Amino acid sequence: MKNNSTYLGSVQDVSGTTIRIAMVNDSLSGLTYVEGEGYKIGQIGSFVKIPIGYSFLFGIITQVGASAVPENQSDSQPYGNRWMTVQLIGEGSKSGEFQRGVSQYPTINDEVHLVAEIDLKRIYGQPDKPYFVNVGHIAGAESIPALIDVNRLVTRHSAVVGTTGSGKSTTVASLLNALSDQKKYPSSRILVFDLHGEYAQALKDKATIFKVNADKSKDSTEKELYIPFWALNFEELCDISFGSFGNDRDKNVVLERILQEKIKSITNYPKKGIDIDDLNIDSPIPFSLNHLWYNLYTQTLGKFYPDRNGTTLDNLAYETDAEGNEIKGDATKGIPPIFKKINTSKANGERVQYLPNSDVPLNNSQQLQSLGSKLRVPRFDFIFKPGEWTPNEDGSTKKDLDTLMKDWIGSDKPITILDLSGVPISILNTIIGVLLRIVYEGLFWARNLSQGGKERPLLLVMEEAHNYLNFDGSALSIVQKIVKEGRKYGIGTMIVSQRPSEINSTILSQCGTFFALRLANSSDRSHITSAVTDNLEGLTSMLPILKTGEAIILGESVKLPMRTIIKAPPKDKRPDSQDPIVFDEVDTENSLLPGGWGNIMEKDPNYEELIEAWRAQNPRIKRIIK
Amino acid sequence: MNRNPVTSSNIASIGYDEASATLEIEFLNGSIYQYFDVPQREYEGLMSASSHGSYLAHNIKGRYRYSKV
Repeated sequence: MKNNSTYLGSVQDVSGTTIRIAMVNDSLSGLTYVEGEGYKIGQIGSFVKIPIGYSFLFGIITQVGASAVPENQSDSQPYGNRWMTVQLIGEGSKSGEFQRGVSQYPTINDEVHLVAEIDLKRIYGQPDKPYFVNVGHIAGAESIPALIDVNRLVTRHSAVVGTTGSGKSTTVASLLNALSDQKKYPSSRILVFDLHGEYAQALKDKATIFKVNADKSKDSTEKELYIPFWALNFEELCDISFGSFGNDRDKNVVLERILQEKIKSITNYPKKGIDIDDLNIDSPIPFSLNHLWYNLYTQTLGKFYPDRNGTTLDNLAYETDAEGNEIKGDATKGIPPIFKKINTSKANGERVQYLPNSDVPLNNSQQLQSLGSKLRVPRFDFIFKPGEWTPNEDGSTKKDLDTLMKDWIGSDKPITILDLSGVPISILNTIIGVLLRIVYEGLFWARNLSQGGKERPLLLVMEEAHNYLNFDGSALSIVQKIVKEGRKYGIGTMIVSQRPSEINSTILSQCGTFFALRLANSSDRSHITSAVTDNLEGLTSMLPILKTGEAIILGESVKLPMRTIIKAPPKDKRPDSQDPIVFDEVDTENSLLPGGWGNIMEKDPNYEELIEAWRAQNPRIKRIIK
Repeated sequence: MNRNPVTSSNIASIGYDEASATLEIEFLNGSIYQYFDVPQREYEGLMSASSHGSYLAHNIKGRYRYSKV
C-alpha cells in the first residue's frame, strides 16, 4: 500500500474541522524520507495535506496516539491503529496558492500526506514581495524564512506575549528593526512607549528618543519629552493637576475659568481651524494655568482690609517680609501669596477679614494646594512648564502643537521612542492615555492629508502593557477605542506583555496577530488560546516548551500558524533588558562584566552616589565624565 | 572621553581623564564603564600590562567603584 514516502494514513472521522486519521502501521521507525531529507512522522504542530481532486486541504497535527482514537473505536482496537487528530486550516491548489479557510471537507479514506519542506516553501513562500517582512525562520526548516504581512500586522493590531526572559524585547527589537528598514519602507512610522528605557540602545541609529529629564550631554541624542498641559482635555487635566473635586460647584467654577482663559487666548492669538463659537473646554488652546491657579488661590484664600475704600480685591491684606515688602508670591513659579492673620478688633491695628463668602470661587482649597505643589516641583515640569510650549499670561506660546506632533511622528527617522521611565508612577496611566489620545485625534482628523493616519499609517508599540491596560484608567479607554476603530484610520497597535491575563480582554481579542513566546502560566495561556482566531488549541499547548527566542506566530498576518526562531538583532542592537549576571561563566580575567557575586567589591562602597541617583531620579550620576 | 583601542580577550578600548582621575573601559560586547578616582599609575599599568584583562581583574576590579555609562 505504501508506495509514496509522504503517505501517512487515511481519514477515518470528520467532525467539523477536526479530523481523525488512522496512521499506517508499516513505518515502524516513525521516520520517513522525502527527497533525501528525514521527517519524523506525527510531530505535534507539523502540517499534513489531504489531496482532494484538484486541490489540497492543509491541516495541523494537534494530537497523536491512543487518546486520538475516536471514542466508539477505543474498545474495539485499543492498540491496533495509531491515530492522529488534525485541525483543518486552509486549502491550496496544485500550483501552490495557499488560502486560509476550507471550502470542502475530506471524506472517509482520503489519503493524508506529510508536508515536506518543498510544500512548506510554497505555502510560506514569496520572500521577494516587499510587503512581507522577514523576522526569522521556521523552526526545523532553516531555509524557509518566516514572513509577516506588513499590511495585516499594522492595521489589524498584534500582541507579543511571553514570560520574562523568553525573548520578548528581543522579538520586538527584531520586528522594529525589520519594519524600519529605510530601503524597503522609506516612510515607515513607529511610535514606541518604552516604560523602562530599554530600546534606546537597541534602536538608537533609527530612532528619535524623547525622555523626561533627558540626558543633555554633548554626544547624547535624547530630546526632552514635553506634554503641554493645555493639550489635555478637561478630565485629564483635572486628574493630573487639581485632583478630584469634592463638589460639582467647584468643578464647574474651574471649568468656567479655563474656558474664559481659552477664549481670551484665542481672541489674542487666533488659530486656524477654530474660532470662539466652536471653542469648547477640551479644545487644545494654550492658556496660563499658573495665573489661573494664582487668581483662584488669591480669591479663595485671600483676606482684605474691610475698612478701606474700593473693592475687596483692591485691598488685599498681604503679609510683609523683613524689609516691609508685601509677600505677593509669584504666579509663574507657583509660589502663592501670604496673607495677614485675621484681626477682628480695631484695638489691635487695622482689621483684617476673609473675603466675603459670595466672592469666594471655591468652597474647598485642597485642590489649589495640590496644584500649587505640582507647579513648584520640577518632576512635573514636563507637563506644567513644557519648555517652548509654556504659555504666557495672555496665552501666547513660542511654539504650537504642530512642532510637537512633527517631532513625535514626523521626524526624519522611522521610529520615535517615548521613554517614560521618568514619569511619576501616580500619573503614568493618565500620561500614556494623553499621549495616545493626542496622537490618535491628530491622525484621525487628518485622515485625508498626506501626513494623516490613512495615508501614512502609524504603528504604536506598547511595552509592558499589563501595567496600564488592566483596570480603569484613561489609557485603557483610548486603547480600546484604537483597537476597535484605529484600523479604519491607519493606527495600529502592538501590545507587548508578560501577563496577557491581566490585559483587558476586549483589547486582546481585537489583536489579529499573536507572537506567542514561552508562556508557562496556565491562566495566561488560556487567555491567549481564547483570544486567537484560529481553532488551534493544540498549538497553544506548546507554549510552555518553547525555547528562548522561539515564537508561535498565529493569526492574520501569517499564512499559516508558524513556529518560528526569531532572528535576534546584532549584539550591540539588543534591548537593555538582559538579566543581570549573578555569577559569570568565564573567569574574571576574561569576563566582560566588572560586577556580579563572583567579583570582589570595593572596600569602602560609596552609597552617597546611590542616594544621589535616587534623589535625582536619574541613573546617570554627575560624576560621570562626558 | 577618547579611548584607545587595545588587543585583549575582553577589553575593546581604554580611556583616561587625568583631571577627574576617571578610567573608562569599553568591553568587547560594547558596554562601557567608568571607574572613578583611579590614579594615573593604574592607567599606565593597565596600558603597559602584557594582559590588559588580567591587570584589570587584579588591580582595578573590586578596588575602585564604577558606573555603567
